[in-house]
Amino acid sequence: MSRKHLFANEESALHEGNDASLQAASVQAATLSAQGFELPTVFHRPAVRRFNNRRQTKLICLVSAAILVAIALIGVLLMPVAMESDLSQARQAPSFEHPFGTDNLGHDMLIRTVAGLSTSIGIGLFAALVSSIIALILGTVAALGGKKADACITWLTDLMLGIPHIVFLLLISYALGKGFWGVALGVAFTHWPSLCRVIRAEVLQVKQSSYVAVARSLGRSPLYIALHHVLPAVLPQYLVGLILMFPHAILHEAAITFLGFGLPPEQPAIGIILSESMSYLSVGMWWLAVFPGLALLLVVLLFDRAGQGLRRLLDPARAQE
Amino acid sequence: MDLSRRNFIKLGGAGAATVAFGGLLSSILSGCSTDSAPAEGASVTGNSNEVVISMPTTSEPASGFDPFFTWGCGEHVHEPLIQSTLITTDTDLNFVNDLATSYECSPDGLTWTFTLRNDAYFTDGEQLSASDVAFTLNGINNSPSAQADLSMVDEAVALDETTVEIRLNKPFNALLYTLAVVGIVPEHAYDSATYGAQPIGSGRYVLEQWDQGQQVIFKANPDYYGQAPTMERVIVVFMEEDASLAAANSQEVDVAYTAATFASSVPEHYELFVCDSVDSRGISFPCVPAGGTKADGENEYPLGNNVTSDLTLRRAMNYAVDRETMINNVLSGYGSPAYSVSDGTPWASEDMIVQTDAEYARGLLEQGGWIAGEDGVLVKDGTRAQFDLYYSSNDSVRQALATEFSNQMAQLGIEVTIHGGGWDDLYPREFADPLLWGWGSNSPTEMYNLIYSAGVGNYSTYENATVDSHIDAALAMTHVEDSYDQWKRAQWDGTEGVAPQGGASWVWLVNVDHLYFKRSGLSIAEQKPHPHGHGWSLVNNVDAWSW
Repeated sequence: MSRKHLFANEESALHEGNDASLQAASVQAATLSAQGFELPTVFHRPAVRRFNNRRQTKLICLVSAAILVAIALIGVLLMPVAMESDLSQARQAPSFEHPFGTDNLGHDMLIRTVAGLSTSIGIGLFAALVSSIIALILGTVAALGGKKADACITWLTDLMLGIPHIVFLLLISYALGKGFWGVALGVAFTHWPSLCRVIRAEVLQVKQSSYVAVARSLGRSPLYIALHHVLPAVLPQYLVGLILMFPHAILHEAAITFLGFGLPPEQPAIGIILSESMSYLSVGMWWLAVFPGLALLLVVLLFDRAGQGLRRLLDPARAQE
Repeated sequence: MDLSRRNFIKLGGAGAATVAFGGLLSSILSGCSTDSAPAEGASVTGNSNEVVISMPTTSEPASGFDPFFTWGCGEHVHEPLIQSTLITTDTDLNFVNDLATSYECSPDGLTWTFTLRNDAYFTDGEQLSASDVAFTLNGINNSPSAQADLSMVDEAVALDETTVEIRLNKPFNALLYTLAVVGIVPEHAYDSATYGAQPIGSGRYVLEQWDQGQQVIFKANPDYYGQAPTMERVIVVFMEEDASLAAANSQEVDVAYTAATFASSVPEHYELFVCDSVDSRGISFPCVPAGGTKADGENEYPLGNNVTSDLTLRRAMNYAVDRETMINNVLSGYGSPAYSVSDGTPWASEDMIVQTDAEYARGLLEQGGWIAGEDGVLVKDGTRAQFDLYYSSNDSVRQALATEFSNQMAQLGIEVTIHGGGWDDLYPREFADPLLWGWGSNSPTEMYNLIYSAGVGNYSTYENATVDSHIDAALAMTHVEDSYDQWKRAQWDGTEGVAPQGGASWVWLVNVDHLYFKRSGLSIAEQKPHPHGHGWSLVNNVDAWSW
């Protein structure tokens, strides 16, 4: 990671400085080959001119975010259409009219996939927000609230991490009567422990730092220190954790729905689409699984890209690790 | 062209991945066909007196082959194979004697006397006598987990070795249809803890082996009193739908159950075998306004629905539903229109049949005061023609039927919102919301359950004294053949009934054909209409199949 970065930076620095000489060299090479000289294959060559890394990362973040927001919004708009079915159009292979094909009930799979992704993003957003707030509160309390609070919260975190995640999700979802809220709350209440640990460690670190000690000596109130010194230091970790929680939440939503403990089958959701596709794979309806599966993968990767990018931008010190 | 090392490696990697993936795909696709085909005119096992059949995993009897639980006479009725029955039904649903040599009913319809044959022996060597019959019937009645309904039987008494008297608490001649699926167990060797796994009967087959979760093997009973089975061994394997198709593709089974979705992909050396059924799918409409509760066994569930309690609406839906389109769209044509729970039986009424006529339905609604609102949905006195329809979410056919019904009703201005759920979610709604059901058996008891006021399946809570009186009259006939007419009159007697022009308490949609892939060369004996439950009915007469 870090090596690559350094190289990339050097390369771009090279670009800025030696553009003119490089051009001259290539012109010379072209003339040589025109004169009949054989040129050896060049294995080392600076990559094509590109943005510097920071700008590139920003761009990736923005584009990912834009795509995800677009999917979410379009999906919400398409939701009523995605519920519509035309059984006379059932079980059609991908075509110009239905790029992702149609399922057993004649749903257009492109529309249904986008609507399903939108449901997933919605549940992911809700779950990630709730989970990250829980993590922020518990992590801060653990770090600042004294030994007993720390012991309690650390124990609870370890306990939550010790229970097999998917089983715990199933239990919560089933106990809440399945459906949208069963899934959303189930996913929301089970994703906080790892972020909680990170935040606790961060806050502890900030607490030990000299500038906090100085602030304390200067007579700043604990609240002032928390708001002006601790929060800004933890915020990047929090935001990155929030975004990186999305892929987990989305995949877990899809997983419990796939297992039949989540949303009812008439709802468009990726988990349902994939679990339904299972029964039709043996008759060769591959498009029911392939496109929605790839779309899910794409969304998860986009979130991951956006989260990693944001981490680099917000936390430059660690980006070079 | 210049090629940097980085790009060179990238390209190489991508190429290798493509080759590997392609190889994987082609090996998966080609893996489906095997080269060594079993001999023609014999089972996949190689023997011409054996047959291998796949059935859904749900067909495996959880509590074994015990009529005191579900075997033969439970929710899904079929001949019990291992045990004999007093009587049985032929392909036209007429009664044929099995253990009984004769039987008659007292004039008041309350006492049935059966005379038994004296040459039937259990496979442990003991003779089957009238006391075994009495033991079985009384035992089922006293067993809380028995699914067979013998509640009309007060007691069964063995008068002598070969005569048994069944005393009823009310006239109920349809009992005969139940007796046709109740296997007689040995009084001397019955233990409810072990009988299910080690059944002793006097029927055509004995249980050779049962590997729970996998397969059941039956072999012919050498001491059977009737004609010896031509199929000496019957192997039933339990598998999921797609596994069943795969088993046929690799020629591991002789008969593979399948569904309409798969019907077009008939494996090589196999042909599609279509069985007509009375496996009816229909929707119950609560006929009373919301309010109060109704008991189902020990549970109290909410009762009534303010929308479907409107008679005009129910009638209009019965006329508007296009069953043929439904069959083509949902079942790929493998089904027949359903107009009642017992289409095609001797007690089915012609008056239940309706021709699809959306215009007529619209007229009915208009006369009934239903006027289209702003969003196109009909409204009457402030009530929108909108209701929730529930279906079992793990059944793709029911989901499709519910969806298609909802689409068709939308054109009429009735908004049907569909909800899938598990049966735990569905049963509590059975009296308050329309529900998509699967019903149907080779017995008028099915109709009794659904339309008699006190019937256990009267989900629509349609209670009509005239209908009840026709059913009571039918059940009191001392000859079952004479009761058909009264059953028909219970459905429509010219002025009243549950028919679409009457109470329209249900809308029946389709009878689902039971589909099988059968290896060419296997001759399957003529089938009775298959009741609800895609499983054991097929092998009712497996003893008469041949290669």
